Amino acid sequence: MDTNTFFSRAIFLVVAVLIFSPIYAQIEEDLTPEERAYRDSIAALNEENEAIAKSQEAYNKGIVLFGQNKPAEAIKAFASSIQFDPNFTAAYFNKGVAENEINRFEDAIKTFSQLIQKDPSYAKAYFQRARAFQGIGKYSEAEEDYKKAIQLDPKNPKAHYNFGTLQFLQQNYDAAIQSFTKTIELKGNEAFALNDRGSCHRMKGDYAKAIADYEAATKKNPNLAFVLNNIGTTKRRMKDYDGAIAAFNRAISIDDKFYLAYNNRGTVQLEKGRLDDAIKDFEKCIAIAPDYAPAYANLAGLKFKQEDYKGGKKAADKALQLDKNNTSALLNRGMINEMLRDMQGACADWKRAGELGSEIGQRFYANNCGF
Amino acid sequence: MKGLLIFLTALFMGSILTAQNVDFRRGNFKDKPDEFKSAKEALDKGEEFFKVAFDAVFEVRDPGLNFKKALQQFLIAQELNPDNALNNFRIGVCHYHSSNPHQAYPFLKRAAELDENCDPFLPYYYGAALQLKGEFDKAITYFKKFEDGYKKSDNFSRFVSLRRNECQNAKKAMANPQRVWVDNVAEVNSEYDEIAPSITMDGSEIIFSSNRPNKNKPNEVSDYDHEIFSSYFKDGNWQSPSALKGAVNSKEDDIVNNLSYDGTRLLLHKNNDGQLDIFESTLQGANWSSPEILSRQISSPRANEVYGSYNHDGYNIYFSRDSETRSNGFNIMFSGMRNKMEKNFGAATMVSEVNSRFNDGPVYLHIDGETMYLASQGHESLGGYDIFVSKRVQGAWTKPVNLGYPINTPYDDFFFAATANGKYAYISSNRDGGKGGYDIYKITFWGPPKQPLFDVEDYLLASIAMPIKDPQIEQKVEVNKVSLTVFKGNTIDAISRKPVQANIVITDNKSGKIIERIETNAATGKFLLSLNAGANYGIAVEAKGYLFHSENFDIPAGSEYNLVNKEIELKNIAIGSTIQLRNIFFDVGKSSLRSESNAELDRLVSLLNEVKSLKIEISGHTDNTGSAALNDRLSQERADAVVRYLTSKGIAANRLTAKGYGSSMPIADNATALGRQENRRTEFKIVQN
Repeated sequence: MDTNTFFSRAIFLVVAVLIFSPIYAQIEEDLTPEERAYRDSIAALNEENEAIAKSQEAYNKGIVLFGQNKPAEAIKAFASSIQFDPNFTAAYFNKGVAENEINRFEDAIKTFSQLIQKDPSYAKAYFQRARAFQGIGKYSEAEEDYKKAIQLDPKNPKAHYNFGTLQFLQQNYDAAIQSFTKTIELKGNEAFALNDRGSCHRMKGDYAKAIADYEAATKKNPNLAFVLNNIGTTKRRMKDYDGAIAAFNRAISIDDKFYLAYNNRGTVQLEKGRLDDAIKDFEKCIAIAPDYAPAYANLAGLKFKQEDYKGGKKAADKALQLDKNNTSALLNRGMINEMLRDMQGACADWKRAGELGSEIGQRFYANNCGF
Repeated sequence: MKGLLIFLTALFMGSILTAQNVDFRRGNFKDKPDEFKSAKEALDKGEEFFKVAFDAVFEVRDPGLNFKKALQQFLIAQELNPDNALNNFRIGVCHYHSSNPHQAYPFLKRAAELDENCDPFLPYYYGAALQLKGEFDKAITYFKKFEDGYKKSDNFSRFVSLRRNECQNAKKAMANPQRVWVDNVAEVNSEYDEIAPSITMDGSEIIFSSNRPNKNKPNEVSDYDHEIFSSYFKDGNWQSPSALKGAVNSKEDDIVNNLSYDGTRLLLHKNNDGQLDIFESTLQGANWSSPEILSRQISSPRANEVYGSYNHDGYNIYFSRDSETRSNGFNIMFSGMRNKMEKNFGAATMVSEVNSRFNDGPVYLHIDGETMYLASQGHESLGGYDIFVSKRVQGAWTKPVNLGYPINTPYDDFFFAATANGKYAYISSNRDGGKGGYDIYKITFWGPPKQPLFDVEDYLLASIAMPIKDPQIEQKVEVNKVSLTVFKGNTIDAISRKPVQANIVITDNKSGKIIERIETNAATGKFLLSLNAGANYGIAVEAKGYLFHSENFDIPAGSEYNLVNKEIELKNIAIGSTIQLRNIFFDVGKSSLRSESNAELDRLVSLLNEVKSLKIEISGHTDNTGSAALNDRLSQERADAVVRYLTSKGIAANRLTAKGYGSSMPIADNATALGRQENRRTEFKIVQN
């Protein structure tokens, strides 16, 4: 800004003040106390309306950002919206959803709790808060929220579905079956619900029902490779190894990068005594997913069977490099170390596996280590 | 062909030459008469020792030093004549019954090459040497040969039968080796004998007996007595052994038998007035006490007792005892303590379930109280002493089961001491490949086959495979930027300036909607309301007896003080009064009425309907821009347009006149834009009432 411009603006301001101040003063003088009070109330209302407008603008901006897959920026916008208008419940909801999206579950719980305090009938808020609780492993709190969400909106299949998954994770398979059945009745994600109900049956040991549900899921959506993988692993448990391999083959035909199917097929090849085929499958799995520790752990176990202890140790080392808590790798490496006459190493591996909760590790350590 | 014949003949002759037996006859050593004399004397002496030892073996008794003494003599003769079959045989037998039996094979082989018939026992011992080498089928052939040629009606056949069975057992056992490692504990072993290992429960100390050179005088065959040694396990290795501290070692053989589980007592056997008895030593501080002989029930005055072992509670003793009246060697016995204070043991009883027709013992009771490990030359041995296991089932011991290869071998494998968890055990063995004599070996049990773990992974929950996102957020809202402005004012008589009560209608000109109807205060003519800023409004004011008043005004967005003050003057309906119609709008330069004008015109229609006597003149006015003719015509056409609107609403045409004044009647200064806007107007004038 040059000097002339500065002075011309200053003069304009002075003139404006000189001109308008008397007018304003005159108007003020003309106002009765009641009129002045009315004028002030309107001014206050205007301020409030302005804040609401700003809140709405920030809210809409948040929605745009969320749509652009920028949840962190969206959260800021929604937070700004709430700051301008602390009673704008939709802004709380959207902020919480965005926080859930990027796994800021603690923040989401706080946001949804504020919302529920303002509007206890906001069904979707309970649903979303339940998801957040689930995210941090607070299953009992999540369960209560899902119940409330279902109570307020009994026809929401997603609430039934998520409640079912929660029951599953808590190993309450009968309750989970009921929830998944309800989801299917409400025409929620039927393929998912059928798969999950099948998994409940599987966990109960009712493999026939499990297979029936899994097959029904594949009919609803034939492109779900993981469902076929579940069929394969279930048939493996049923010792129907040919059936299992057929299922894994179908999974791979849908998704030839589905590394789990290769790994799992490898374990079935082992059961059939096809060690070479098993090696190929484990190696294929590793080629697709070089960071997948269980495939290395399995390879280590296979090489142990082949008495290739050095090769097995290399594979187990890699598995543990990728996942230091992989108990199978620890157990397998322990066996390999024992055969390599490194009892100290073997006992360290078994001890660690035991500490991680492996009963086999605890047994191996108790029976083989110390004196 | 001829060459081949010559070669075969030479080979045959050579074999005859190398396999020629040379008798100890003076004629064969004419040039060495003195040496022959010495050799012959040695042979005679050796033969005496040999016979005593040989008889003891077949009576399952300890041959003592007799084989060693015999060997010393035979080796003197061997120096002069290494090609005597019988001497080679006898040397082989002496070695076979030593702690280095693998040395027997070359002598017995040589004897067989020189003269297979030098001694009727040659096939037996050669078979036994082959058995040690693991050549079981060949060994069996020689045992059969021995049986075929042995015509004596004594009970030696039981030894041959035992050897044959051992070979069969060994073949089976070696085809199915046990899941163990057997390692020579090199740190504690020497070229001498190391036997009878005992291990503390925590595996930190090993106690054993060895006849390695010590401070005592060696015996007549230059062997030292056995002393008890100890070694500690430190940093993964056994430390150099040292003699057990205290008064436990004597000048004679001290053979440690067993260490109590708490590590404070040990059993040993030693010579006691010409026979072997079991003693006990206790740990006092860092030193072991002078051994005290056990109760007569165990260490009896009539028999040899060896290899004592505490049972799991530490008070009952298992041990081995021989008997002059039996030829089954040592048998395993048991004696229970009656009074712990007096250490008064009950009469010893034979544990008949575990004894064989040959030497049985040492014995070891595991801490679990249910498992007995015993060494035996009988049962289903693979050769020599083997280690067996027996379990106590319903109060009785089961038939001993061979621990299998490679714990057991065709050599002597005996003594057994295990760690508390049974993972490790220590034994003694004179198997080939050690440091010499009996060595201590560590057994590492692998335990049951361990199955490697194979992980399968699946997505049992679909939401794990494909996480369900539920980003159903609430939708956008319309931003409502409402800003209110206070609109205050009063209605007064234009002439008298007195307040007039009036009805005010405020219309949003853009939407045409009436947004407010108010009545001004009767006493003050005041009104007060709020209007949205940023809009153009029409205000129509009606008061009885007064001319209808209308005007148009903007309330800009963000009004400076949120306050608009307006004073409205109302005019009496008097002839000649002229009223401006401020809310009538035309298209620019045209006479076509815009729809925003309808509200104002409808109010005029109302006035004319209300006051039937009114006749009015509609006048159009322009500013002075443009030509006068054009302004005149435009103003006339606009006045006509208003009249047409009014007549279309039912107002009689005779009450209306239209007049275009062009720019001839300005009410403001045409020199300014504001003035020109004021001058562009439509008015009506009351011409009759």
